[in-house]
Amino acid sequence: MPQATTAITPARFEQGLAYADFVAQAAVNRDKFELYYNDSPLSADDISFFRKATALANGPARILALAEAWCGDVYRELPTVARVAEAAGMELRVFLRDENPDIMDEFLSNDGKSRAIPVFVFYTNETRYITHFTERSAGAHAELAAITNEVKLQLNLPPEATFATVPESERQVFLREVIKRITPRFPQWRKESIEEMRALLSAALRLPNRG
Amino acid sequence: MAPVNDQLPIVYTIRGCDACVKLLRKFQTDGIVFEERRVELSQTLMDEARRYGDVVPIVVWPDGKVEQGFEGTLGCFI
Repeated sequence: MPQATTAITPARFEQGLAYADFVAQAAVNRDKFELYYNDSPLSADDISFFRKATALANGPARILALAEAWCGDVYRELPTVARVAEAAGMELRVFLRDENPDIMDEFLSNDGKSRAIPVFVFYTNETRYITHFTERSAGAHAELAAITNEVKLQLNLPPEATFATVPESERQVFLREVIKRITPRFPQWRKESIEEMRALLSAALRLPNRG
Repeated sequence: MAPVNDQLPIVYTIRGCDACVKLLRKFQTDGIVFEERRVELSQTLMDEARRYGDVVPIVVWPDGKVEQGFEGTLGCFI
């Protein structure tokens, strides 16, 4: 969560990379960013909602993204947020997580233990914090947990088994089966990320969640 | 695809990935000699790693056995 004294001043925000510059400097996955940019899950209703939010006096005008190009969640989510920013007239600035630890420290997840990315932080035109989204939707996290439990049943593993506790001989089978089952869910998870960002903004701005 | 030294395990990593860093520390503590290939630095290495798995760290042992993730963590999707 943002701290009372934040590293994100208007001047610091301006130091972030424009989306095109972020993609251009990426050593890897430029093809993935292009692919997902061109395959936007945004609906007309989504775009209408974000435009209404932006039109509010206290609405979002700036989006800060914490990202690294090597991260699968980043190349699946960031191009969509770039589309949101373009469609709604918001300014998007991307900060590399590993070069900006002071910013990352303000948005740790998992009780302060994880530097999960992407993080998308919505600010007003004066760079006042509104809300932020981290990594994946709550629904995606719940589905990952449910799939993990299904795989335990399939492999006759005890309910309390984790990747850490299963015998080495079974760990790789366990992991591969979980990955196999969650990968087809990624398109839906991209849509759910947008739904969650809408819900977060709707609650923070007291704006009805409709386009 | 063939390891430079086919007697050494090949470890595909991303230095910003906590699971990768933990695996590197364990290998170093255990005295395991390995060749690290940092996939965040090269599309060629990224594509090479994807032929073995979906998450890093990935260890390709000299006998051909492939392991993804590290102990309690799924690792980072690539």
